Amino acid sequence: MRERRSGFANPWLQLALSVLCVLASELLLKRGASEVADPNSALSWTGINGLTSALVWWAILLVIVSFASWLYVLKYIPLTVAFPLSRVVDVLVPISCWIFLGEIISVRRWCGIALVIIGLALVAKPVARLEEKL
Amino acid sequence: MTLLALVLILLALLTFVAGQIFLKHAMESTTQAGLQKSSVAVRLGAGILLMTISFFITLGLLQRFDLSYLYPFQGLSVIIISLIAALILKEKLSWRLMIGVLLITAGVVLVSMS
Repeated sequence: MRERRSGFANPWLQLALSVLCVLASELLLKRGASEVADPNSALSWTGINGLTSALVWWAILLVIVSFASWLYVLKYIPLTVAFPLSRVVDVLVPISCWIFLGEIISVRRWCGIALVIIGLALVAKPVARLEEKL
Repeated sequence: MTLLALVLILLALLTFVAGQIFLKHAMESTTQAGLQKSSVAVRLGAGILLMTISFFITLGLLQRFDLSYLYPFQGLSVIIISLIAALILKEKLSWRLMIGVLLITAGVVLVSMS
């Protein structure tokens, strides 16, 4: 029992958990938002009608879990290491949109996504350093 | 994309980044001695409020757009952070940061045209 606890307390495992929770919450939010989508109502721009979807509540739960594990990660791993690694979610989200949500992603959009990801890979470290000082 | 959508996307990003900075300062100030509890609570409250606003705006946007369309815009949040850092901390922005920012901007423009 003790060893299993220390295994779960591994900050790298928590980092992976945090990333997976962010990914799952984004997909659930999209599913939930589409479920209740009401583009004709002006109120739906506020997103509040999203609360009527159970999927949105699951997503909120996952956001909280990811936030808690991220705070734990930051206790043990420097932001300049943890933040660039956490950006892997930017690669996983579009791929999951394509696989799980069946979104049709045009060549132009893939190119744009690729540029954003390369740019993020370049800036992740300097930005983490800036954020530490802010 | 309509102007309203663009404004909401940027507003969601700005409130998210501002919320994060508030939360970070609230957490940090808990470790400082001699700080009043009320100022921690104010920062925490402001952070949570801003994050909540960002969450609902995103939820509204997701009702209208693909996730693969909206998600790349989050790359702009690192640009907002660098701008804030440059303004507040008078940081010199490195070449690496500048090139990265240009790539992200170009990528977001491509996505927004798709």
